Amino acid sequence: MSNLEKYNQVFCEQFSLESGFDCEKVKMNDTADWDSIGHLNLISALEDVFGIMFETEDILSFDTYHRGIEILGKYGIEI
Amino acid sequence: MFLEIDKKDKNSIALIDSGDDCATYGEIIDFGASFYNCIKKRTLIFVLCSNCVGAVMGYLGSMMNRIVPLMLSDSMDSKQMENLIHIYRPEYIWKPENMVGDKEKVAFSGRSYALVSTGLSSYPLYEELSLLLTTSGSTGSPKLVRHSYENLEAQARNISEFFELDHKERPMVDLPINYTYGLSVLNSHLYSGATILLTSRNVLDLNYWAFLKKENATSFTNVPYSYEILKKLHVFQMELPSLKTFSQGGGKLNEELHKEFAEYALRTGRRFIVTYGQTEGSARMAYLPAEYAIKKCGSIGKAIPNGHLFLVDEDGKEIDEPNVVGEMVYQGPNVTLGYAKTGEDLILGDERHGILYTGDMVKRDEEGFYYIVGRKKRFLKLCGYRISLDECEDMIKAAFHIECACVGNDEYMNIYVTTMQDHDGIRKYISAKTKMNSNVFRVLYLERLPRNEAGKILYSKLQ
Repeated sequence: MSNLEKYNQVFCEQFSLESGFDCEKVKMNDTADWDSIGHLNLISALEDVFGIMFETEDILSFDTYHRGIEILGKYGIEI
Repeated sequence: MFLEIDKKDKNSIALIDSGDDCATYGEIIDFGASFYNCIKKRTLIFVLCSNCVGAVMGYLGSMMNRIVPLMLSDSMDSKQMENLIHIYRPEYIWKPENMVGDKEKVAFSGRSYALVSTGLSSYPLYEELSLLLTTSGSTGSPKLVRHSYENLEAQARNISEFFELDHKERPMVDLPINYTYGLSVLNSHLYSGATILLTSRNVLDLNYWAFLKKENATSFTNVPYSYEILKKLHVFQMELPSLKTFSQGGGKLNEELHKEFAEYALRTGRRFIVTYGQTEGSARMAYLPAEYAIKKCGSIGKAIPNGHLFLVDEDGKEIDEPNVVGEMVYQGPNVTLGYAKTGEDLILGDERHGILYTGDMVKRDEEGFYYIVGRKKRFLKLCGYRISLDECEDMIKAAFHIECACVGNDEYMNIYVTTMQDHDGIRKYISAKTKMNSNVFRVLYLERLPRNEAGKILYSKLQ
């Protein structure tokens, strides 16, 4: 599975999204279930899938689907 | 005067919010006088809250002048709000200016808030009735908890005593002030003459941390799941020089996390204080002193100052011996008057006489420390908020016309159903109704629900 597929799969599982979801619209406090608990679950799931540990600043600024891709880049995960 | 606010240094800052508004103790007194000049009598008012100076001013303006506020979230569902207005008939609503409709009559405004008169007249109010709060869950029940003036004074006095608060404290208050736990942090610090840092942002917001650091917050008070977030955020490695006290309440923190925070606090010269409370007991009733945080990990500690805890067995007889489970009973001046379910109930007097059966099943060790082992009443505290299992069951049954049984713990709820259809729909429905993340609900299939001969569901057989 490619990194993009893995990344999308985490979003689908965490926020009950259908595959092929509109990634432009996936935002914290906007997407259903992406509240503080959802965020904690999302971060933990991505850490597990990619074998990394996010720094505080990155957890706090990870607020959209696209921003997440940029942040993962810092950890050497190319999506 | 309420919380002896008139005895504080008038020029010292009482409130600062993350929207850059602030108020001194002197300004609170002056505001209270103008507020009263518009209302001029004892009556019922709704205060629509977010954690900002404007909301607190309306609350204090009411409390200082014997006007009775019902504190509600400003993001409350409008149907639920209309229902409460219909049932309780507030004469005024204090709400954010941007929520005022074109046709509404504004009697007074200040601090980005407005006092709107409803044209309704209040029901008669019991003379000692000071404040109304919803029970902490948000399933839409109109049931309110009636507080006396003495309840709130005792709450503020007792909490400031066991936390050893003084005017130098700068607590972060991000728990909603319409929630008993958040309000108790506000009241106890006002009583101590401290500077309260108000924000509606949460720990996952960059601005929350910017505010905390800029204002040199000295204490952090929060519910179990916020502690999970703090750990994820690597709080143990953060530079937080001003932050001296971490406190937790609003449900049971898992023991592992309790231990990690207790050890972190010990290592870094901080205090970690676990507390126990309910709306019916004006927030806190027990606390675990910081020096016992490690030794008595998992305990809720002992009764707060001026309070008394004991356990009773099924026949209501007091249990003397240690390590026996019984229902915990609290006795103290912060036990509230009782509930209101209708406007006519606002005239009711004290129905509890200082004694509260907590509904928590608890044991006490040889040294007198209390440990919660379960609940007698069927509710959970999810994310710090009380959720009634029976109410959830009733809502699901009515909406989906199915059999259903809800059980769980303070981390999640399991919803057992006898249908394989639409599990996702049930999860989303109950998530919307309770305003909780749908991931805290699990829908599980059973061919049939376990019942006794009389047809009653055997919850003990479900987990």
